[in-house]
Amino acid sequence: MVTVNDYSGKIKPDWCPACGNFAQLSAIKNVLTELKIEPENVVVVSGIGCSSNLPEFIKAYGFHGLHGRLLPVASAVKWANRKLTVIGYGGDGDGFFEGTQHFFHTAKRNVDLTYIVSDNQIFGLTTGQASPTSEIGFISKTTPDGNIEKPVNPMTFALSAGATFVARSFSGDPKHLQEVVKKGIQHKGFSFIDVFSPCVTFNKTNTYDYFRKRVYKYEAKDPSNFEEAYRAVQEWGDRIPIGVFYQVKGQSYEDLDPVTAEETALTERPYRKLKPEDFEEFL
Amino acid sequence: MRDDEIIIRVAGAAGDGVQSAGQIIAKTFSRKGLNVMTYNYYQDIVRGGQSWYQVRASGGKVRSQGDGLDILIALNKDGVERHTNPDINEGGASPLTGIAIFDKSISGYTDRKVTYVPMPLSDLASKHSSFALMKNTVAIGAAMAATGVDFDTLSSVILDVFGKKGKVSEQNVSAAKEGYDYYLSNHKSIGKKLSFGNKRKYLIGGGEAVGLGAVRGGLKMYIGYPMTPASSALHYLAAHARDFGVFVKIPEDEISAINMTIGANYAGARAMTGSSGGGFSLMVEALGLAGMMEIPIVIYESQRPGPSTGLPTKTEQGDLNLVLGASQGDFPRIVLSPRDARDCIDLTSEAMNLAQEYQTPVIVMSDLYLSEHNETVDSIDPEFRVDDGNRPVDGEKDYKRYLVTESGISPRAIPGQKGLMHNEDSDEHDEYGDVVSDAETDPTKRVTMMDKRMRKLETFVRKMPPTETYMLADAEYAVIQWGSTAGVTEEAIDILRGKGHRIGAIEVNRVFPVNPDIGKLCSGKKKIIVVENNYSGQFNRLLKAELGLKTVLVRKYNGEAFYPSELAAMIEGEMR
Repeated sequence: MVTVNDYSGKIKPDWCPACGNFAQLSAIKNVLTELKIEPENVVVVSGIGCSSNLPEFIKAYGFHGLHGRLLPVASAVKWANRKLTVIGYGGDGDGFFEGTQHFFHTAKRNVDLTYIVSDNQIFGLTTGQASPTSEIGFISKTTPDGNIEKPVNPMTFALSAGATFVARSFSGDPKHLQEVVKKGIQHKGFSFIDVFSPCVTFNKTNTYDYFRKRVYKYEAKDPSNFEEAYRAVQEWGDRIPIGVFYQVKGQSYEDLDPVTAEETALTERPYRKLKPEDFEEFL
Repeated sequence: MRDDEIIIRVAGAAGDGVQSAGQIIAKTFSRKGLNVMTYNYYQDIVRGGQSWYQVRASGGKVRSQGDGLDILIALNKDGVERHTNPDINEGGASPLTGIAIFDKSISGYTDRKVTYVPMPLSDLASKHSSFALMKNTVAIGAAMAATGVDFDTLSSVILDVFGKKGKVSEQNVSAAKEGYDYYLSNHKSIGKKLSFGNKRKYLIGGGEAVGLGAVRGGLKMYIGYPMTPASSALHYLAAHARDFGVFVKIPEDEISAINMTIGANYAGARAMTGSSGGGFSLMVEALGLAGMMEIPIVIYESQRPGPSTGLPTKTEQGDLNLVLGASQGDFPRIVLSPRDARDCIDLTSEAMNLAQEYQTPVIVMSDLYLSEHNETVDSIDPEFRVDDGNRPVDGEKDYKRYLVTESGISPRAIPGQKGLMHNEDSDEHDEYGDVVSDAETDPTKRVTMMDKRMRKLETFVRKMPPTETYMLADAEYAVIQWGSTAGVTEEAIDILRGKGHRIGAIEVNRVFPVNPDIGKLCSGKKKIIVVENNYSGQFNRLLKAELGLKTVLVRKYNGEAFYPSELAAMIEGEMR
């Protein structure tokens, strides 16, 4: 019987009090417990940023790697041992600046993993610079006169790339967050979840209040309707939708590749012994 | 040039079928039990330009592309002109002294002291096929007749090469027979005494040998972005992925390739990546990640001349500084550099184990010369003991991923193991893997962990096998080389020994950490001459820094490999 305590790490999170990351850590632990997944079969891979410290605070297999590079690591973990539950976790700077090409191609490949982005629209760990999701006019250390670069819409990007599960939630609504994370982990294929995660220290614009006033729960009539999803995710301003926008069934990369498709995980297969016939082509 | 050896060169433009023709000739000789080495001189172009492919074969040792040229097959007029010119300057290649075979439609070439054999190649080919490149096969038949090799062996190779193409293979055999018979009826043998036998030898490329060695060493995943000259290993493994049970993937870039390789190894699947210097440059940050997290990875780094795009189809040993200096901070790394195809197999298998044993990056450094040429090996040992290194058992109490040990090596748990959950971190951490860089900054722990990691190199050095040597025992002069220049260095030593010089060589295929025995091998020598295929003498600098050796440097950096007589002359020049 897995309890949420089994996932409790011995190190207390070093995030600022009320940071949006706390709700996400709880959601991940609660969902893994609810789904009865043993901690030894969970790998949490992160990049670099405040949110990316998360693997230190959960008792599972953690991989706290490089800025922007969590998805290649997470993909290969899944390919090596497809029995593992793999969660990628990082920030908006990590994922949508340095990690952009990996985000695009991992989504396209439909690797069976869940990628949660703690989106606070700012660089927190490096003390407050504009990020790829910072809004126009946003004032930060690097944009003292206001940001002039259009923000990335991670949702349209994920849809365009071919992600088979595209969702958004908000750290200020833990119940909703937990539901979405659960659906994401249960989804077979690449699940992308963008989470509004207010940075209470450096982002004085996109606060809990800012989102509480704007977010509403979106229910897709038909989650497999790409056009509907693509339209819905573009709503921004006074009203911002959260929920699962898009979900389709499809074969994951490791199902399609003939080597990983076999049931036994690569890590559990015996080493291939060479035979003289293997060299015959050179004779 | 010895009577028992032959050098044949096929010359033409890219797209003329130069390489395919050369490979048929090479395989015909390896099937007749000769030792063979090929050399591929080509450009970064799909069509046009001037390329050539050389085959050297002998019953005796063949350790480089060799000096001299007995038979030229010229597929265009430029080929005739270039390779009969005594002032040839193709990076050290010899001009023709024997016979030139070409189509009789080629005319107006300069008359030089060679035997011209214009033949009705196209006419003979057109009896069997309208395919233009069929004339190459006629020329191959003629050249093989000139060497005295039997037609059946040639025909068996052609059937294998074109085997899947049905009628085309029959047509090629017929075309070859036309050339073979025509030559015998109209011209005489070139009078070589080649010791043909019936024991087939393996003819393998350096890139394929790396792939094969990796599989023997337990490879389960190969992730690489295409880049000449590392792609030959990627192609070989991709073609055999199902058979070997190896997952092969081209990702979006080399940054992804190395991070995937790290992720796979972290999860417990032996994985390897490969590239040339440009791709390796993109891997630099993640190299340090593997060093810090103590995750085993093997990187195949096949060098070509830089900087930047450089000379994509040429050879050089100019990436040593890059490989040794890549990534911030100090961490242990092991650099191996195979000397020949056999070493490519053996050292790559070994690298797969070393990475697991020392839980750190192991880089196998080759170069275009070694990766892209074929050579014979007498036998390939299928046996290899795969060793996963220090792994803890499930549920171990108070498990410390980075336990401080005398060897520096700690027990490595992999995901899925019960009760051993831990975090692996790019931040400095303690024995448990818990971060000591942020709130818990701890200078003492930092020193402990640095010392622990770096101790792995000391452990490795203690267990290094002795450095191999050639004719060194009575030598007054010592040549030190690393990697692919071993064969040509041995041949240069033979030439110099023939002139009465007491000279020998130290052959370094384990480049870093530097084996301290190299210093001892050099003691008492009159002069130490370091041979390198690069501009600045990168290995020479390393030897000076690590061992305090007083050396002189012989270098070549025009994109071509050393030729034996050329290298002998360069070394002799430094002996004075």
